[in-house]
Amino acid sequence: MVKNITIFTRNTCAYCGMVKKYLGVKGHTYEEVNIDQHPERQAEAFKLSGAMTVPVTVITKHDDSMEVVIGYNLAKLAPAVA
Amino acid sequence: MDKQAITLYGADWCADCHRVREILDAHHIAYTYEDTDQPEVHARMLQAADGKDEIPVLVRGSEMRQNPSSVELMEWLGLAHEAGAPKHDVVVVGGGPAGLTAAMYMTREDVDTLIFERGVVGGLIATTDIVDNYPGFPDGIPGLTLADNMRKQAERFGAQIELGEVTKIVDEGEYRRLETTSGDILARAVLVATGSGYKKIGAPGEEEYYARGVHYCATCDGAFYKGKRLVVVGGGNSGVQEALFLTRFATHIDLLVRSDLRASEVLRHKLEQATQEGKITAHLHTTTDEIVGENNAVVKVVGTDKTTNKKVEFPTDGVFVFVGLQPNNDFLKASNIALDAVGFVTTDDHLQTSMKGVFAAGDIRSGATMQVATATGEGATAALTIREFLEGKLELADDIHAPKQS
Repeated sequence: MVKNITIFTRNTCAYCGMVKKYLGVKGHTYEEVNIDQHPERQAEAFKLSGAMTVPVTVITKHDDSMEVVIGYNLAKLAPAVA
Repeated sequence: MDKQAITLYGADWCADCHRVREILDAHHIAYTYEDTDQPEVHARMLQAADGKDEIPVLVRGSEMRQNPSSVELMEWLGLAHEAGAPKHDVVVVGGGPAGLTAAMYMTREDVDTLIFERGVVGGLIATTDIVDNYPGFPDGIPGLTLADNMRKQAERFGAQIELGEVTKIVDEGEYRRLETTSGDILARAVLVATGSGYKKIGAPGEEEYYARGVHYCATCDGAFYKGKRLVVVGGGNSGVQEALFLTRFATHIDLLVRSDLRASEVLRHKLEQATQEGKITAHLHTTTDEIVGENNAVVKVVGTDKTTNKKVEFPTDGVFVFVGLQPNNDFLKASNIALDAVGFVTTDDHLQTSMKGVFAAGDIRSGATMQVATATGEGATAALTIREFLEGKLELADDIHAPKQS
C-alpha cells in the first residue's frame, strides 16, 4: 500500500531517530530530509504538517493519497504504514 | 463473501480501533477496514451492531464483536492465547536510564529480557540538550548521545527493545501477563521503569497551538525559532536549562516563573549571565494564564504579575513549557498496582511493588530523586533483586510485599 515515505528531521531530535527505527523494524525504506542540512525545505515541512516540529513523516500510498504524521506517534504511524 | 472474511468498522481518531488493528496486523489477519466517519459506513456499522453506536465493530459472517478487550479479541480470532503468548524471564516497561541499565545487568547474566518503549529509547534524557551531572563526562554529554550509548550497551548484551506500549499487567501466579499493543506477553518478573513526562500548564491556547507555537521539546523544535522571540515557562532545572539552550536560536526569551527559581546554583549563575547579556529576561512570581494566537500562529502570552496582581503581556512567536514532571502511570492504575497520593508507584525495600514479581525503578518510583544517576543506580539494584526473585531467593518478599506508605 505504501509507495514512498519521506521524513523531515533535525540533528538533535530524538523522536526523529525513533521514527526511523520504527520504519526500519517494519522493513520500510524512506527518504530523510534533514532540515538543519536543507533549511530551504523547512517551508515544505511546515506546509505539509502545519506544525513547527519534527519529525514530520509523509506517507504516499499507491493511489497517490498522502498521509502526514506529526511527531513520533505510534497510534498514527503504525496504521499509516501498515 | 468468504465466510471467514472480517470487516472492521473504525475511525482514525479511535484509539481502540488502532489497538484492534495492531492486533490483527501483528497476527497477519486480513480484514476489510471501513471508515465510520463516512455517513453511509456509519449507518452500516449501526445496522451490524444492532444500533449500538460504539466502535470498533468487527463482523465475521453472522458473528459480531463490539470494542472487545485484547484478550476477548484474541480468543474470538482463535489465536492460541495461552500457548501463543511469548514468554520472557523479565519484561522491562520503559527504556529510559533505569530500564536500560537493568536490562544491561540482566542480559549480561543471560536473563532473557525484553524492553517495551512507547516513546523515545533513552527517555527524557534523549530530548535533553546536555546532561551535565552524570558521572564520567567531565564536560557534560548531549542527552541524545548518552541515551544512545546506554541503548547500545544494553543491546550489546542481548537486550531486545520492542516499540510499543504495555496497557495492563495481570498477576497469574508463576507468570505476569502483560497486555500490550503487540499482543499478550508472559513474564516471570516485570520491572516498571516508565519514568515521568513533562506536565502541561493547562492554560487556554496550550492544546490549540500544540506544535504550532506551543512546544515541550527544545532540542526537537527550538531551531524553528531562529531569529524569533520566545517565552519559556518554568523555573526549575529543565525550564532554565532549556531556556539557555534556546538562546542559540531566539533573539530574546521571556522566562515566566510562577514562584521563585528552583533551578540549581550552577544554572542560576548561567541564567544571570544570559540576563546580563540581554538574552533572557526572567519574570518571577508571574503566572501563565493564556496563550493567544492570531491567524493560526501564537502572538503573545498573557500572565499575571503576582506581586502587583496586574495582567502582563509578552509578545512572542512561540512558547516552550517545562513546568515539572508527572508519572507515566496509566497502565499501573489499570493494573491495580499501589500508587502514592501523587501517582508514583510505591515499593518495598526490594523495590517490589504491591504486585508480587513486579518491581519498580527510576523516576516512576515513589521517593525517587529524578536524577539520571539515581535512575541507573536503581536500575542496577532492581536487576540484582529480580535475579534473586527468579532464583527463588526472595521469599522474604512474600511477607513484606505490601508497599510502604509514603
